[in-house]
Amino acid sequence: MVFNKTPFAVIVCGAGHAGVEAALAAARMGAPTLLLTGNLDTIAQMSCNPAIGGQAKGQIVREIDALGGEMAINTDVTGIQFRLLNESKGPAVQSPRAQCDKKAYQLRMKHTLELQPNLQLFQATVTGLIFEHGKVVGCRSNLDLEFMGQTVVVTTGTFLRGLMHIGKNKNEGGRLGDFSAKDLSASFLEAGIELRRLKTGTPPRLLGRSIDFGRMEEQKGDASPTLFAFHDTRDPMELFHVEQTKERRLGWAPGSNQVSCWMTYSTADTAQIVRDNLHKSAMYSGEIAGVGPRYCPSFEDKIVRFSDKPRHLLFLEPEGLSTDEYYVNGLSTSLPFDVQVDLVRSIPGLERAILQRPAYAVEYDFAPPTQLFPSLESKKVENLFFAGQINGTSGYEEAACQGLIAGTNAVCKVRGTAPLVLGRQDGYTGVLIDDLVTKGTNEPYRMFTSRAEYRLLFNHASAELRLIAHARQHGLLSCSRVGRIEDKARRVADWVKRLESEREPTQGILWGDWVRRVAAKQGLQDQGEGRGWAALPTPDELARESREVREEVLYRVSYAGYLEREKRQIEKLSELERIRIPADLDFKAIRGLRLESAQKLASVKPYTLGQASRISGVNPSDISVLMIHLHARATST
Amino acid sequence: MPRPTELIAALGTPAGTAALAVLRVSGADTARLVRELWGELPPARRARRADYRDAGGTLVDDVLYTFFAGPNSYTGEDALEISCHGNPFIAQKILEDLFNRGCRPAEPGEFTQRAFLNGRMDLSQAEAVMDLIHARSERALAAAHQQLRGALGRKMEALIERLLGVLAQVEAYIDFPDEDLPAENRAAVLAAVQAILRETEQLLATSHYGEMLREGIKTVIVGEPNVGKSSLLNRLIGRDRALVSPEPGTTRDFIEERLLVGGHGLRLIDTAGLNRNAPQALEKLGMEKTGEQVEAADLFLWVLDATALNELNTKRLSERMAPDNTVVVLNKCDLAPISEMKSMPAPLAGLPVVQVSAQTGAGISALLTEIEKLADGFQRQQGGELIVINARHAHALTSAQTCLRAAIARLSRADRAVELLASELRGALEALGEISGRVDNERMLDHLFASFCIGK
Repeated sequence: MVFNKTPFAVIVCGAGHAGVEAALAAARMGAPTLLLTGNLDTIAQMSCNPAIGGQAKGQIVREIDALGGEMAINTDVTGIQFRLLNESKGPAVQSPRAQCDKKAYQLRMKHTLELQPNLQLFQATVTGLIFEHGKVVGCRSNLDLEFMGQTVVVTTGTFLRGLMHIGKNKNEGGRLGDFSAKDLSASFLEAGIELRRLKTGTPPRLLGRSIDFGRMEEQKGDASPTLFAFHDTRDPMELFHVEQTKERRLGWAPGSNQVSCWMTYSTADTAQIVRDNLHKSAMYSGEIAGVGPRYCPSFEDKIVRFSDKPRHLLFLEPEGLSTDEYYVNGLSTSLPFDVQVDLVRSIPGLERAILQRPAYAVEYDFAPPTQLFPSLESKKVENLFFAGQINGTSGYEEAACQGLIAGTNAVCKVRGTAPLVLGRQDGYTGVLIDDLVTKGTNEPYRMFTSRAEYRLLFNHASAELRLIAHARQHGLLSCSRVGRIEDKARRVADWVKRLESEREPTQGILWGDWVRRVAAKQGLQDQGEGRGWAALPTPDELARESREVREEVLYRVSYAGYLEREKRQIEKLSELERIRIPADLDFKAIRGLRLESAQKLASVKPYTLGQASRISGVNPSDISVLMIHLHARATST
Repeated sequence: MPRPTELIAALGTPAGTAALAVLRVSGADTARLVRELWGELPPARRARRADYRDAGGTLVDDVLYTFFAGPNSYTGEDALEISCHGNPFIAQKILEDLFNRGCRPAEPGEFTQRAFLNGRMDLSQAEAVMDLIHARSERALAAAHQQLRGALGRKMEALIERLLGVLAQVEAYIDFPDEDLPAENRAAVLAAVQAILRETEQLLATSHYGEMLREGIKTVIVGEPNVGKSSLLNRLIGRDRALVSPEPGTTRDFIEERLLVGGHGLRLIDTAGLNRNAPQALEKLGMEKTGEQVEAADLFLWVLDATALNELNTKRLSERMAPDNTVVVLNKCDLAPISEMKSMPAPLAGLPVVQVSAQTGAGISALLTEIEKLADGFQRQQGGELIVINARHAHALTSAQTCLRAAIARLSRADRAVELLASELRGALEALGEISGRVDNERMLDHLFASFCIGK
């Protein structure tokens, strides 16, 4: 049975963090969009810890906001604890992080989707794709419904042949209590798309009143929270809480009503329990074939690999205001349930803890992302886009930014316009996608600030200014917000110019030099108290600018030398980035190209000469040959 | 297509000793470079003769240079050609200086590539250009592989591994602030960076040994006038090269010859005699030149007249003379038989002594054995490993050092902006990567996850 006679422009399969951003981006661009999810009650569910942001991820969330996505504002409105990480370090590596009310996050996201014009929600488990002449034209569900679409965005998360492990126990499903998308994998294989297995895990959830918090260290939120959305340029009407949607009003100011997290440590007993039962772990008994992430190892991994470490830090994170459930950050495991109980109860404060959900590991299919163009469209099947964990990533933020890009590019594809391709110089989203499509990944890929070559330019507060040109070009923001951002960008630029050309009257030197001198000195004295922007000298009029403008100006001025260096590096590489490689280029037919390089280039099919240069094994002379070939080709046609 | 504008420089003639070496520079900034070097911009395509002085003001060579204004140049952009003397050492020095002045080493085939992109070649030549790049890069690749399989490769790899280890220490605190990491140990990081800096300094210092390998060990024949220096040279190379006469002070300029001793290449240099007494004007000029040669010598052959040992000057001719770089050659032993020799004069104490007769050839093989021993010693000083560093390597090492020094300064100041410290260390890593290939961030992460228990 056909669900729709007129095809949707975009069908999004999956309503996790990638799927919702994809659907919202497409609908906000004005394209008729259908969002399919196996369960309407688990939209944008935080399957693992109830937190958004953190190192590099916090910057990604701000980039999502700068591109008109929803994750940032949804976090601000449903956040119950806010902390700025690395506050004692430089602005480039400071990252906002928030604990969220898990249910409130989902409800508000669902309602946002419901309020969105051009967007239809429908509950259906997608079982297969419909292809025609090597292109995707829709998908079908387990209820024999067929959905027709010009493009399809797939965001399956951990559900694609998801298999959960607790000790020897195995259950099909992408998340505890949920189903597994068993049949969809066959569609991908049929289309010649390679699939591989990855693994991830999650810790047990505990009942709050069974926890003795008195034996733990409290971790409070920041007194003045750092939010994710750019509230200085956003329309205040967009700030609403789900209970007040009728009036579109905010129940409380973001960051008020904060709750605490709690810290405790594992003990020697905990380690002994793990060692005694290691053979029962799904991970260690060979039950799991998928590769897990190094940065998020199971607890048994930590004990085995770091046997000399006497204790391991654990955080108890509240899952929400309307539940007493706690997430035990750091205790991901695939040991059998009875061992998990012993494990938990060997930890100070958790002696009488009641487990409400067990920890488990989950294996799932992913499609190695070198099979994608930087637009996130499949190289094998036209009009098919992938985003999130199916591309081998890990994390809500990594998924969400891909969803936003995939949704946007699905619309570009339908309209025949140039896709939104962010470069490594634009921000973390660009680094993420470039890494995925150029190098691929062997473990669930998480963003680290160290992955970015131009980290200093990616301070979280500059996301809007960095991405405004892309947002405007693709119509991702309202005209009024574009205007406000451009005004902000102009003010920042003008002020930087002024400080670098006008003299500070009492010192007789340039304001810029004076700011740098004070900033350098302050770096020595101002321990632990944040950067202390307020302490930097500025002309009176600058002090009257908004805090956002003032801080960005002072950042650019005090780090001028380093930022300049990164900009020069970008400039140096931009020549190569500007040279597009046609998708139909036959690398093997190019004279002078080494065979090994030709094979690598043919498998990655780089989008630009810059991307080609980052493929491992492709050397500068190959790039020279390619450049000459492209030039010859361009002049001959 | 963009027009490449970065300044690139490379040796345009094959490496090795020839009469002339040609260095080429191309890029939009060429005119600035010419003005910086010689104070003026001569008309295009007119060769000029001038001194080449490095950035420190030291005279490197007397050169011919020609400026070409784009588009009328080989590459189609502003370009410069410098012809210097064929000694590869001079060419390398100039190349190093050009790098110091903002040029970067040209990639294989890059001049040709620019020529093509700037329309200096027609389309039919495109494939020929690609073949050329291909061939050159294969050669360069083979050469680089050779080098990286050797001692330099191992040294670089060890250096990069250590730098990655340090960087991982710093990055861990940036990317995992909420983890239970051991207290940050800045002193340890500082010590590690300092140790790495010292290693790069040592590597750079070996570049002189590399020079010895390429150019030959600079062996200077010194001694007072008329002790038979030129005769010795002639005897060693087996033909009459130097003008020999019984008149003291015949050699007024110096003469250079090549000699192979036990696998070591020697540059044998005959000098004017160092005469204590007031010399004639012309001879004085020769002696000044001798002084320069003595200062730059690797190995000394100190020739003494065995018949006139009693008149020996009480001082060594150079303070640099030492048992590991000097052989005392007692010449004319046919006229003063060994048995007549009494105790060694004090200035010769500790130095190896060989008795020869340049006239008859007696003792020459003993002298060659002695020279070989010293040359082996030079090699041993390098830990028995042959490390050859060229200007390109030196350029990369020097940029790495700049970053490492800045990192040390930050660490010493206890600066809180660790991301800037990381930025310097990453800069150093990138520079070293120019020698042994780009270092992927994955390798840093491998170090990080191996040394820290990360994971909440």
